Amino acid sequence: MTESLTLPLPERLARVPFLAEALLLAIAAAMFFLLPYSLGFLTRVLILMVLVLSIDLLLGFAGIATLGQAAMYGAGAYAAGLFAIHVWADPLAGLVVGAAAGAALALLSGLVLMRAQGLTLIMLTIAVAQICMEIANKARGVTGGSDGLRGIRMDPVLGLFEFDFIGQTGYWYALAVLAAVFLLLRLVTRSAFGLSLRGIHDSPARMTAIGTPVYGRRVAAYALAGAIAGIAGALTAQVTQLVSPEVFAFTLSAEALIMLVLGGTGRLIGGIIGVAIFMTVHHTAAAHDPFNWLFVIGAMVLGVVFFVPGGLVSLPARLRGLMGRAL
Amino acid sequence: MKTPFRVALSAAVIAASGTMVSADTIKVGVIATFSGPFAIYGKQYREAIEVYVAEHGTTAGDHEIEFIYKDVGGVNPDTARALAQELLIRDRVDYLAGFTFTPNALAVAPLIDQSETPTVIFNAATSSINKQSEFYVRTSYTLWQVTEPLARWAWDAGIRTVATTVSDYGPGIDAENAFRTSFTALGGEVVDSVRMPLSTTDFTPFMQRVRDIEPDALYTFLPGGPPTFGFAKTYNENGLAEAGIRFLGTAETEEVNLQGLGDAAIGLTTAYHYSGAHDSDLNRQFSARLAEMFPGSVANWSSVGAYDGTHLIYEMVRAAGSDGPAAIEHAKTLAWESPRGPVEMDPETRTVIQNVYIRQVERDAASGLLVNREQGVIATVGDLGWDR
Amino acid sequence: MSLTLNILVDGIAYGMILFIIAVGLSVTMGLMRVINLAHGGFALIGGAFAHWLTMAQGVGFWVALPLAILGTVLVALPLERLLYRRIYGFGELQQVLATIGITFLMIATVNLWLGSSLLQIRLPEGLGQPVDLGFRTLPMHRIVVIGAGLAVMAGLWLVLDRTGFGMRLRAAVDNRATAASLGIDTGRIFALAFCLGAGLAAFGGILGAELLPVDAYYPLRYMVLFLIVVAVGGMGSILGSFAAALGLGILETASRYLVPDFGTIFFFACVIALLALRPRGLMGRLT
Repeated sequence: MTESLTLPLPERLARVPFLAEALLLAIAAAMFFLLPYSLGFLTRVLILMVLVLSIDLLLGFAGIATLGQAAMYGAGAYAAGLFAIHVWADPLAGLVVGAAAGAALALLSGLVLMRAQGLTLIMLTIAVAQICMEIANKARGVTGGSDGLRGIRMDPVLGLFEFDFIGQTGYWYALAVLAAVFLLLRLVTRSAFGLSLRGIHDSPARMTAIGTPVYGRRVAAYALAGAIAGIAGALTAQVTQLVSPEVFAFTLSAEALIMLVLGGTGRLIGGIIGVAIFMTVHHTAAAHDPFNWLFVIGAMVLGVVFFVPGGLVSLPARLRGLMGRAL
Repeated sequence: MKTPFRVALSAAVIAASGTMVSADTIKVGVIATFSGPFAIYGKQYREAIEVYVAEHGTTAGDHEIEFIYKDVGGVNPDTARALAQELLIRDRVDYLAGFTFTPNALAVAPLIDQSETPTVIFNAATSSINKQSEFYVRTSYTLWQVTEPLARWAWDAGIRTVATTVSDYGPGIDAENAFRTSFTALGGEVVDSVRMPLSTTDFTPFMQRVRDIEPDALYTFLPGGPPTFGFAKTYNENGLAEAGIRFLGTAETEEVNLQGLGDAAIGLTTAYHYSGAHDSDLNRQFSARLAEMFPGSVANWSSVGAYDGTHLIYEMVRAAGSDGPAAIEHAKTLAWESPRGPVEMDPETRTVIQNVYIRQVERDAASGLLVNREQGVIATVGDLGWDR
Repeated sequence: MSLTLNILVDGIAYGMILFIIAVGLSVTMGLMRVINLAHGGFALIGGAFAHWLTMAQGVGFWVALPLAILGTVLVALPLERLLYRRIYGFGELQQVLATIGITFLMIATVNLWLGSSLLQIRLPEGLGQPVDLGFRTLPMHRIVVIGAGLAVMAGLWLVLDRTGFGMRLRAAVDNRATAASLGIDTGRIFALAFCLGAGLAAFGGILGAELLPVDAYYPLRYMVLFLIVVAVGGMGSILGSFAAALGLGILETASRYLVPDFGTIFFFACVIALLALRPRGLMGRLT
């Protein structure tokens, strides 16, 4: 206790539990009032955060590289959309269905995929997403094909909050789901299961030697991440009220990965920061110059990887390090 | 007539922002692809809009008109919806325009319904879009609109057997159905129907297959852009023309990529609503002004869709200002001369009634360039797909 | 019979394009351990130069081809010196991020320079002519492509097997540290191999433009395709890339002939089966 008091302020702050999380939550709430006319865009950002968190669980904790998380995202989107149209338009029930669909697809494909590593694994994840996209395109009678699945009309959240035109309900709803997913992942990553994932990440051979079922743990992690991606997809279907086969697009998987690495892997907060920065820069640059914003994105990505290789989440520590040296 | 929603929204916006936009300024939000593989659409739209503005000024009636461009990047209904929300709520636009892809157009239907915002579709050609909201008006065309006349023309030209090859996605399948239904109703036979994956890069297998079947003609539909370019080339390289299999298409010989097809394109037959070589003063003037303001630019169907869409917006603003329902009612009564020929808004389908021309690619003697030479009007029709 | 021949002829022509473009990627991935997502960008740059030379400058195709390849190498060299040299030392994820950043900048530059529409490359008269094969006709250009693919294969084999450069390159691929300790200037080897890869990408991009049309977004559109060739062939294996490119070319072509409606699903299902059975690719060197 006394020892911690002698530490410099930033370090002491870093030890306050959930301080960063509380800060982010406060920022998110403030955004609602600061940008009341961009709630559609902000909601999109929150949904992408859920998706990126699912990739962080895989990449940052279990060391599973993927460029096909859109497969589970899309499965969740279509499942939730179809469920709302044909069965029940309750949003929370839709989330459960989306999560189940994402988990099921991840479990099935994971049984094959989790035996592979590296580039092979990456290509396999891409291939699964491509096949899903083609199925959504072909099954026109069910999915509406490339015109999109339309006619999704959601009931109020908890029977109380109607989805409104400005997107206020959508924003709070997505924020609540994001917070819940974040908490869940925080618990999971600190559980015995989460620690074994980290062990597998660091040294699969050692974990096998001490009797951890490495393959099984990897499949389980993949399924859990699939469920979370499915939730993100379900959110998107409910908020946009339309699902097109592009939910499975390679570019979505790739962009989500870029955002994660930009923010920093292996710490849930990194993904959140990465999405926030990427989307803000993208949105601002695209509004400023709809033709040439790719210059800005490219320069930002290169700049971060060259100057802050640990991702933006490591920026404070790096700055402290620089300042410490200067002093 | 202002809806309670709009009044409440305006009050909230004024209270919050503290800056009042001049009541005379009417804003138009243009949602299109300005980046990514389909950026050419956004470019064509913007240039056509700016040509119209240069010709007609920035005011319509008592109102100043301002365009705001938003990049949707590609097929991206989530983004299209979020952008529309932002345009309607923050920028307070009174009109929306653009929309290249069907899902993007469909995604804004609930928004424009609630906010009563007239939305002018410059391109997306799926008939059913306009059924999703009363506030859609379309200045492009629908797949049925150009395909049925083509099937009829083919029958009259003595073609009895046709193989269809379309891209395997919504519009392609609509086009296949439209052709098959129209052609078989006349007594013709569709001997083979191939759906080609959107990711196809080499079309040779499909061409060889059609060649082996030896139909009188090949009907095709592909999305605009690089794939289409490859298709028309492959048709020639595999000697289908020599084998007597005629090419029946729609947008495959569009003007932007036409020169790239080279001499091999000569003789390709298409039915479409706009040709860059349409013989009218207005069209020549439009093309000339476009080339003058944007060196190297060539007018194609998406330019003319945007040009006419801008005209429609000006007319709606002139008559009804920011009153959405009144603007739509006014739009339904309009008829005007377009660079493509005479057009008229169909009050029921809210898609323009226009001439469909049969054209053949030839090399223009004067300019030395390839052109879609119109051989005549084969139909003057509205959206034939409305009741299907 | 003619169906089989058709599949073979079209598949091999298509596969050769994939091979020419992807083999450079395979070499750089195997040698420098860099996941170079910007590889397709060099094909784009080559195509852009060729477009500009043949269309705007009126240069003939056979002159424009070497000039465009040279131009691409001249772009690649400073990129290697300034950026890639540092990227070699990054972790895998940072490599992905850095090379995708480079890809974005390449796309944005070409987009600003030449616009986003199709970048057509004017071919000489002779290449467009159909040639009678007896059972069907084939455009002259496809025959040239097949010849070029074989020439690249033979050339690479000669260079790698018969020259001092090739020997040092192979040594560096097998064990970089040992090679360096034996006095091999791995930095120079890397730069040369990188430029070779970029030049081959440009060559394939230009020659393949009839099949894979060039526009500013080329690197993103075909990124997955090129990566699949490398993954199936096995990183760092030239013979593997050759086999994979031809195999995948024939596979995709066959699916277009036989099951056109389900071509995409069939293709990716085969890729999954292949990779699941042979996770290191057909001839992968790396574990």
